[in-house]
Formats: sequence, C-alpha cells, structure tokens
Amino acid sequence: MEIYLPIAQMSVQWPVVLGLGFAIGFLSGVFGVGGGFLLTPLLIFYGIPPGVAVATTANQIAGVTFSGVLVHWKRQTVDFKMGSVMVASGLVGSAAGVWLFAVLRRMGQAEFAVSASYVLLLGWVGAIMLQESMRTWKARQEGKSPTGKRVGQHNWIHGLPFKMRFRQSRLYISVIPPVVLGFVVGILSAVLGVGGAFLSVPAMIYILRMPTNVVVGTSMFQVLFVTASTTILHAADNYTVDTLLALILVIGGVFGVQYGVRAGAKLRGEQLRFLMAILVLVVAVGLLWQLVMRPDDVYSLTAGTP
Amino acid sequence: MRMLLAALVMLTAPALAEEGLTSGLSQDYLQITSTFAGSELTVFGDVENPAGQETRDIVVVVRGPDALMTVRRKDRIAGLWINNARAKMWLPAYYFVTATRPLGDIAEGETLRRYELGLNDLRADVTASDGDARPYIASLVRAQKRAGLYIQADSAVEMQSATLFRVHVPIPAAVPRGSYTVEVYLFRDGDVVAAQSTPFYVDQAGFERRVFEFAHTKPFTYGVFTVLMAVALGWASMFLFRNRV
Repeated sequence: MEIYLPIAQMSVQWPVVLGLGFAIGFLSGVFGVGGGFLLTPLLIFYGIPPGVAVATTANQIAGVTFSGVLVHWKRQTVDFKMGSVMVASGLVGSAAGVWLFAVLRRMGQAEFAVSASYVLLLGWVGAIMLQESMRTWKARQEGKSPTGKRVGQHNWIHGLPFKMRFRQSRLYISVIPPVVLGFVVGILSAVLGVGGAFLSVPAMIYILRMPTNVVVGTSMFQVLFVTASTTILHAADNYTVDTLLALILVIGGVFGVQYGVRAGAKLRGEQLRFLMAILVLVVAVGLLWQLVMRPDDVYSLTAGTP
Repeated sequence: MRMLLAALVMLTAPALAEEGLTSGLSQDYLQITSTFAGSELTVFGDVENPAGQETRDIVVVVRGPDALMTVRRKDRIAGLWINNARAKMWLPAYYFVTATRPLGDIAEGETLRRYELGLNDLRADVTASDGDARPYIASLVRAQKRAGLYIQADSAVEMQSATLFRVHVPIPAAVPRGSYTVEVYLFRDGDVVAAQSTPFYVDQAGFERRVFEFAHTKPFTYGVFTVLMAVALGWASMFLFRNRV
C-alpha cells in the first residue's frame, strides 16, 4: 500500500493520505472552510517536508474549491467585481509570499517559520472558535437566541478614498480594504498553504459589510485563483509541488466534501464548532511541542538545496 | 588528486611488481526503472600472476557524482529549537566500499586516507559557519547511511578461486543520475600494487523519476499542469455527485 512521492522523495501509505484528504474534505464540507489550515500541519506531522506540505495543500484547495465556485456562479452568489479586486491584490500577495518563502528556505528557516506561524494561527483561531461555540451553546441552554454584534451603518471604512461601486454586494466603498485583505490572504496562502477563508470571510462580513449570501461564493472565487497562483509559483520557484500527493488528496477531498455537506446539515453547529476548536488547539499544541522538545538529531541534511 | 594517484599506480604498478589486475562490470550503463527496487551492479575481476604466498587484498570502491550538500544544526534559542548554523560541503552523492577483510586490517590509516577508502576517510571540501566541520560531516555520513546511499560493507568481496573475485554493489533508487566510477585496488602487505578505475553511467526511467525531471526542467509548465489536474478532478466530482446531493 506504499507509494513513492516523487517531489517529497519519500514513501507514504496512500490509504492514510487518502483518508487524510477525505477527513479534511469532510470538515470543510461541514464548516464551509477550506481546511488548509489543518491539512498543512497534519501533512507535516506525517513527515512530509513543510515546503512540500504548504505548496501541495494550496494545490489541493484549488482543486476542491473549483466545484464550489461553479455552484455559487450558477446561484449568482459571486460578486465578480469584488472578487477580481481581491484576486488582483491576492496574486501580488501570493508572489510576495512565495518570494518570502524562498528567502526563508535559503536561510534554512522555512520549516521553523511555517511551524511557528501555525502555532500562532491555530492557537488564535482555536481560541476564538472555542469561545464562540461555548457562548452560543450556553445561550441556547438558557433559552436565548444567539445574537451577533450589532452593526452600525457607518464605520471608518467609509472615510477612505478611491471609492468604487460593487453592484452585486450593493456597496459603494473604498477599494483599499479589499485590496489589503486580498494581499494579506495571498501572503498567507503562499507561506502557510491555506486558502485564507477563515480570515477573509469574517473580514468581508464585519469590515467590508458585504451581504452574507455573496460572501462565501466571492471568497471561494478568490481562494481558487490565489491558491492556483501560489501552486504555480511554488512549483516554479521552490520545486515543492508534489503532483502525486495532490492527486490523492484531491480525490479524498472531493468525496469528503460531499459527505461533509450532508452530515453538516444534520448536526448541531455549535457542538461541531466546539469539537473543531478542540482539534485545532490540539494540533497547535502538538506543533509547539515539536519546537520546544530537543530533536532526535540536532543536525539535519537539506537535500537538493544549495 | 585521488584519480591521479590511481592513474599513477596503474602506470607504475606493472613495473614495480609482476602482479596485475583485470576487472570488469556487469554493465556500464545502469537504468533504474522502479523506485522501490533500485538496482544492482556486479564488479568482477582477476588477479594476474599471483606471486608467492604474501597476503593479498582487494578493495572495491564505487563513487557517485560529487554534490553540494548543506547540513544545518539546531540550537535552543529562547526555548525553541531553531536552525542556527550550517555547513556546505562537496561529497559524493553515492559511496560504496568493501574489501576482502575489514579495511583496518588491510592497510595503515595513512594509506586508507590517501585513497579515501572508508566512510571515515572521505575528504570533503567544507565551509562551516562555525569553525569545526567534523560533526557536520559525521551527521551527513549518518544521514546518507540511513538512506542507503553510503555503504561500508565488511568483507563483501567474494573470492571464487585463488584469483577470481566478485562483488555485488547495491544501487538504491534514490541515487542521482550521472557518471559513477568503480575503483578496484589490489593491496599486498598493506600497499597498493595495482589499481583500476572503470566508469559507468546511471540513468533513471521510472514514472516517479519522470515526474521529478518534469518538475525540475519545466517547473512553470509543471505547476500549470498540476493545477489543471486538480481543477479537472474537482470538476469531475460534480458530475459524479450531481444526482446524489
């Protein structure tokens, strides 16, 4: 059941990788997030070199997201203008991120940078999810309906220049916030191998004030292009995209998403989010542990890189 | 330098002693087609005109192309283990050595070092960022041994008669393509009396290797292809599930 990955240059049990792709696809079907922020660290745990894990996860997200974009396109829940603005700056961000990654790799710090960023990112996301799910859970037990933050009609966003009309989102706002958001998500995608929906979806709702029905479709549209660009740039600059690994992960992923979507419809949201938060925090602690514990061998051979 | 020494020995050996050496390889071109199995090379030969009853030994060395390798050392900084120092060195990508007896019994350390016989006697051109290069080389040798790329086999030279010998050299799939050399040394009483060097070429043709070559020779096209493959799979899954969701 072993298969040799030509770019990662190691043998893996393909059923394990397929199962991993399925599990992450399932989670993204349930929660509507890409799952890259879990897939990359899990691949690193499994022994895949961090560079390959990051670049190949970006490729997997591009594949799994594509069908989602088509569905939202048919339902006309994609703001193409907003999406294009974010894609444009996202491509610049992704190029900057891949360049940054190549620099870190040459310094021998790419592995550390990826792990350390994940500890911070997962710790943060996990804590927010845990807090939110517990609050909702408690509110439901006390018989109150969970309420979101009251949103005012105007915020600081409206004071910025270069305003543009986004018909689909019924917004007339400055292009600066979407450009900055796209750029940041592009960098995250290149350095961490994530789609960035966990950041862009809340930002689109709370900062840009986009209508909720177009947020997911627009985010997916942006994720598709940015992860595709990240994959190609990593392949060209760092030679870290493993086609065979991506193939197995995508196959597992697309099946996982289908079952996840159906399972998600039957399960209670806040309980699931609570479990997901625990999982995210466990992965964060595991990665931190690897950084703190004395490694088996303090010397390591970097293959192929001068 | 090493090649020069071998050449010098080859030229002067017949004049110094009546003993000579003929050796050959099972093939001079090796194609590795499966990533799991690797391949094997057979080195065989004949000691010519054996004179008297002196102790005679044969040492066989196979060297791959030299490669620039980087070894990094982690140090504890603010409680975290971070790569902090590194050494770059030129060493063969593949190295195999064996003899009729343990190397230490055949010749003095000085002689073994001169011909680079044995994993501890490899000469590396090292630049270390912090003084002492030895732990870096030792760590590289450990890593290469684990990968099956550095092999020091004890007494793997099979004597088929008093003068005929044969050695099986395992070539793992992970070896890089390029020119390799097989060096055969004939020792008598601790000195090299004859030597022969034969080149051979390793090529790889497996599917995984082709993917690797594609990714490294046309990286941009490879990236585009990989994305298209992932997207096509995602799209295909829609048709598969269209009636079921």
